[in-house]
Amino acid sequence: MNEWLSSLVDIVGAPYVITHPAALKTYAQDGYTLASGMPRAVVMPGNAEEARAVVKHLYRHRIPVVARGAGTSLSGGAIPSDGAVVLHFSRMRTIRHIDWTNQIVQVDPGVINAEVTRALEPYGYFYAPDPSSQQACTIGGNFAENSGGPHCLKYGVTLNHIVMADVILANGEAVRLGSLAGEPEGLDWLGVLVGSEGTLGIATQLWLKMTESPTQSRTLAALFDEVADASEAVSDVIASGIVPAALEMMDRLAISAVERGSYPVGYPDDLAAVLLLELDGEAAVVDEEVKLVIDLMQRHHVRQVREAQSLEERALWWANRKTAFGAMGLISPDYYVQDGVIPRHLLPDALAFIDRTARRYGIRIANVFHAGDGNLHPLLLFDAANPADVERVQAAGLDILAYCVKHGGSITGEHGIGLEKLDAVRWQFTEAELAAQAMIKRLWDPDGLLNPGKVLPTPGRCVDFRP
Amino acid sequence: MVSPLDQCVHCGLCLSSCPTYLETGLEMESPRGRLVLLNLWAQAPEQRDAAISQWLDDCLDCRACEAVCPAHVPTGHLVEAWRGESEDAPRPGRAQRLLMRLIENPRGLKWLQRLGRWSQTRVGRSLVRWWLTGREDSPLRLQQGLPPLQSRRLSREQITSNHRGPGDLWLFVGCVMDAIYAGTNRHAADLLRLAGLTVVVDPRQRCCGALHWHNGQRAQAQQWAQENIEAFESSGCRMVVVDAAGCLTALREYPVLLAGTPYEARAHAFSQAVFDALEVLSQHPLPPLPDQGLTVTVHDACHHVHAQGIRHQPRFLLERAGYRLVEMANASQCCGSAGIYNLAHPDMSRALLAAKVRAIPPQAEVVSAANPGCLLHIQQGLAASGTPVTAQHPLDLLWHAYRSQGYLPGGGARE
Ligand SMILES: Cc1cc2nc3c(=O)[nH]c(=O)nc-3n(C[C@H](O)[C@H](O)[C@H](O)COP(=O)(O)OP(=O)(O)OC[C@H]3O[C@@H](n4cnc5c(N)ncnc54)[C@H](O)[C@@H]3O)c2cc1C
Ligand code: SF4
Ligand code: SF4
Repeated sequence: MNEWLSSLVDIVGAPYVITHPAALKTYAQDGYTLASGMPRAVVMPGNAEEARAVVKHLYRHRIPVVARGAGTSLSGGAIPSDGAVVLHFSRMRTIRHIDWTNQIVQVDPGVINAEVTRALEPYGYFYAPDPSSQQACTIGGNFAENSGGPHCLKYGVTLNHIVMADVILANGEAVRLGSLAGEPEGLDWLGVLVGSEGTLGIATQLWLKMTESPTQSRTLAALFDEVADASEAVSDVIASGIVPAALEMMDRLAISAVERGSYPVGYPDDLAAVLLLELDGEAAVVDEEVKLVIDLMQRHHVRQVREAQSLEERALWWANRKTAFGAMGLISPDYYVQDGVIPRHLLPDALAFIDRTARRYGIRIANVFHAGDGNLHPLLLFDAANPADVERVQAAGLDILAYCVKHGGSITGEHGIGLEKLDAVRWQFTEAELAAQAMIKRLWDPDGLLNPGKVLPTPGRCVDFRP
Repeated sequence: MVSPLDQCVHCGLCLSSCPTYLETGLEMESPRGRLVLLNLWAQAPEQRDAAISQWLDDCLDCRACEAVCPAHVPTGHLVEAWRGESEDAPRPGRAQRLLMRLIENPRGLKWLQRLGRWSQTRVGRSLVRWWLTGREDSPLRLQQGLPPLQSRRLSREQITSNHRGPGDLWLFVGCVMDAIYAGTNRHAADLLRLAGLTVVVDPRQRCCGALHWHNGQRAQAQQWAQENIEAFESSGCRMVVVDAAGCLTALREYPVLLAGTPYEARAHAFSQAVFDALEVLSQHPLPPLPDQGLTVTVHDACHHVHAQGIRHQPRFLLERAGYRLVEMANASQCCGSAGIYNLAHPDMSRALLAAKVRAIPPQAEVVSAANPGCLLHIQQGLAASGTPVTAQHPLDLLWHAYRSQGYLPGGGARE
C-alpha cells in the first residue's frame, strides 16, 4: 500500500478508507448527472480531529480533497475531479448541543438538515433554511452551497443562519470563524466561506441560529388556468408589500410528475400552474394578509384557492412540492435543473422565454421554483443515452442562464456553480471580479487542493463529461 | 418505458431513510449506491466480486427507500430480484437452510414448534445458554426472543372454522406464526369473529413462499403460491386475512412472483383480496374500551409501513382498546430482523437492534410489533438488555383487552 494511503488507515481505521473500484464508483457523482469523476479514495473521519489529520496528511502529499455530505448537490460540487480524495462526513452526524439561552444549535457537518428542525420543533423552534432536499442533505453541504429553500423568502438563506464555524484550511490547520454574538469582528470571513462550495475550507463544526415558530401559519394553494396569470399574481403579491413565508410555483408538466410521485395531493390534471403560499406570524395579521392575497389571486382569474385544513395536509402539500425534482424520474430518464435568478417583475416574461426555448430545442421543460424570490428552476428533461439530447439540454440551459444575466439576474440562486456552470461564470462576472475571486482562492488555498476544478473557471478541467 | 434502474435520478433523497446507510455511512450501503452497483453488476460481469455482492446482500429489503423515492425506484425489489436470480449472490447458511426446510410443511412446522418448546424447558434453557457463551453470532440467540409458553399444536389445528355457508375470511396462518405464535393466530380469529366476520382455516394452505423466493428458490415459492391461490378460489371466501407483515407483503406480491406464468391474472385477483387483520379490524366497529393501565409503543414492521402504508391502524386499534400510546423515535426504522437477515448478517442486525431498543421511551411497558421476525428479534434484544419491557403482537394486546372486558369467552387460558 502507498504511504499516503496507509497513513490514512492509521488515522481513521481500515474500515473507513475505501479504495475498492466499484465502491469508488458510487462516489463518482452527486445529484448532477451530466458529469462524473472517480475519486482516488474515500475517507470517513469519525471526528474533527481525524478530519484535520487527514487533510494535513493529504496536504503533505499535495493530494486534492473534496468534502461530501449527502451528495445531493445539483451542480456537481461533490464530484471529485483530478482524482481527489473524498472526505465523507456521514459518520459525523451528532447534534452536539442546544443552547437555549443564546438560541444556538451546535452540530457536526454530517447532521441532516431536517433533523435540526426535528430536534427543535417540540420546543417551539425551527431551523429556517429548508432546501427541498432537507430530508437528506447535510448542514456541511448547506454551508458550502449557501442553500436556500421555500421558507427563505421570509427567513433568509443559510448565510443568515450560521453564526460560527470550525474550518480546516487547505494545509490542515483549524480556524474558528464568526462568533456566537453573530456580528463579525473585522472582515467577515465566515460570510466568504459560506457558499464557497468547499473550495476555501472544510467545516467540521457549525453553530446555527434557531428561529421561533410562528404562532399562526396558513398555507394556500392557488390553482390557475394560465401560467401568465399565476406569474402576474406573484408579482402583485410581492408588490403589495406582504412577505409570505413561502411562495412557490409549479407548472403543468411539473404537476403531472408530482401527482404521480409519492405524495399526490389531487391537483386537477388540466391545471396550468399552482401557487403554494404560506403566510405566518401574528394570527390577526396573518388573517388580514390571507384575505388580501386571495383577493389578488382572484384579480388574476384564479380557478380556485384551497387552504390546508390540517397540519397533515400542509405537510403533504410541502412533501408534494419538495419531491418535484425526483419525481421527474417518472416522466423522463434524466433531468437537468437550472437555477437562474431574475428580477421578480420579469417572471411572466421569463416563463414565456423558457417556453420558447423548449420549443426551439424540441425538448420538454418543467418549471418548479421559488417564485417569491425570482429563483427559477427549469427542469430540462432528456435521455442521457442519447448524446444529441444531452447537447440540446446543455445548450438550452445556457440560453436560459444568458437570459437571466442579460436581465440583471444571476446564474445561480442556491445550487451553486460547481462543475456545471463554470462556463456561465464568465457572463456573470467581469474580468476584474473574477480576478478578485481568484486572489481569494489563492490566499486560502495556494496549491488549489480544495475541491479543485469547481466554481472558478480554470483551464484544463479533468472530468469526463458523459456520455 | 424508463427501466427501473434508469428511473433513479441520483437525487439522494433516499439516503437518510436507509438503515444500512445510516449505520455504516457508506454510499455502497445506500439505495442510490446499490443501484450503481446493480448497474455495474449487469454491465460489467468481469468486475463482479464478493465485496460487491456483500454490499448488495446487506440490503434488508425493508423498502424504506421505496416509500420515500419520488421516482418510485423499486430498489428493495431490485436487490431482491438480484438475490433470487444471481448465481453469485451469497447463499443461505446452515441455520437458514434448516429453517427453510422446517417451514415447508406442517410436519416440519411441528418440529419447529417442538424445538421451540424444548428450548424453553429448564434443561433446554441451560443448554442454550451454555452453547451461546462466546458465540455472539449464533442463530440460536434467537431462542431468547421466543414467547413463553409454547403451544403443543399448530394454530391451524386449534382454530375451528365457521362452517355454515361460505366464510368471509380465509385466515392465512403462515409458518412461523402457525408454530411459534399459534396463540396470536387464535386471537386473530377471535377478534375477527367479535367484529362479526366468519373465519375459515383451510388445511390446504401453504407457506407464503417469501423466504424461498428471496433465497433463490423461486420455483418452490411459485408452486406454493399456485396452491394457495387455488385453495382460496375454491373456498368461496371474500378475503384472505393475514396477521404477519412479511406474509402480507409476499401474498400481495404474488403477481410479481407469478409474472409470465399462466397464473398471473389469477394472482392479481388474489392479491386484491389480501388484507391485514389490523386493516380489517380497524374497518369494523369494535367497542372502545376503558383505560387498560398499560403504556405501549408501536414499532412499525417494514413490510407494513414501507411496503403497504400501514401505520395508523395498529395505533388506532390499540388506543380504541384502552392502551396508552407513546411514540418511539424512528418507529418505522427496521429493527434488523428482516426475515432471516439476522441469521446471515449478525453484525448489521445487532447494530440495528441496539438502536431500536435504545429508542424505546422510558414510559413504555410493551413494544407492539406485528411481525414474527420483529417479535423474536426485538424480544431477544429486550431480554439481553435486562429491561422488563416485552415485545408483543398488537393482536395479542387487543385480545387481552377485549377479554378482560368480557367481550371474549373467559377462560381462554393459553395451553
Ligand atoms: C431534490 C433536490 C432538491 C434540492 N432543493 C434545493 C433547494 O431547495 N435549495 C437549495 O439550495 N438546494 C437544493 N438542492 C441542492 C442540494 O441539496 C444542496 O446544495 C445541499 O446543500 C447539498 O448538501 P449535501 O449534504 O448533499 O452536500 P454535497 O452534495 O455532498 O456537497 C455539496 C458541496 O458542499 C461541499 N461540502 C460538503 N460538506 C462540506 C463541509 N463539511 N465543508 C465544506 N464543504 C462541504 C462539497 O464539497 C460540495 O461542493 C436540492 C437537491 C436535490 C437533489
Ligand atoms: S433511488 Fe429514488 S430517492 Fe434514491 S437517489 Fe434514486 S431517485 Fe433519488
Ligand atoms: S430496502 Fe431498506 S436496506 Fe435496502 S436499500 Fe432500501 S432502505 Fe436500504
